[in-house]
Amino acid sequence: MADVKLTIAGRPYDLHCEDGQESQLLQLAAVVDEKAREMPGGTEVRQLLFAALMLADDAQDAKGKIEKSEPQSDSLRAAVALAESREATARDELRAAVTREQAALKELEAVLQAGPAAAPPTKPAHDRALLQIADRIEALAAKVEQLP
Amino acid sequence: MELDLDESSLAIGRIERALSRIEKALADRANRPESAAQAPAADQSALKAEVAAVIGELDRLIAEADRG
Repeated sequence: MADVKLTIAGRPYDLHCEDGQESQLLQLAAVVDEKAREMPGGTEVRQLLFAALMLADDAQDAKGKIEKSEPQSDSLRAAVALAESREATARDELRAAVTREQAALKELEAVLQAGPAAAPPTKPAHDRALLQIADRIEALAAKVEQLP
Repeated sequence: MELDLDESSLAIGRIERALSRIEKALADRANRPESAAQAPAADQSALKAEVAAVIGELDRLIAEADRG
């Protein structure tokens, strides 16, 4: 245990506290002393009563502020959770779409490689379409890479 | 402009590389700690619409190629 000497409203006090808590106790005593000194001229008891009432008022104010901010924090947490959930859904949908696209591409490759009987080569319309698809998917890749 | 089979393969190669880029971007995005940042809903809808359109176009090509 540690011995601490405090002075509140002009009167010295000897107190004991756990080792390491001396500075905290001195700090709290300074707060009480400051409040007590805000009512000079009264008796010591009145000064301490006044300090106790002021500190109770401060505590009540602080409690009220915390209670007011709690609903706001809850809404923010809910909004963040909703945004995260939507973002995850969108990412999953996009990933599923990419998988479907890869499957379709493999199928197209298989058809093209099957030979002239299955897919006659040099069909200009198909080739043009394939080129356009390549352009569009490259543009899509650039957009996805630039997503925030 | 006409393409022979080799040029078609080049186009397919471009598509494959672009798909890999998309996959990588999505994986990076999923692993980012600040993944809560979200693209505007309009952008996401436009992206989804474009992906759906490209898939539709590929499906159409496959069907036509199957028919010969």
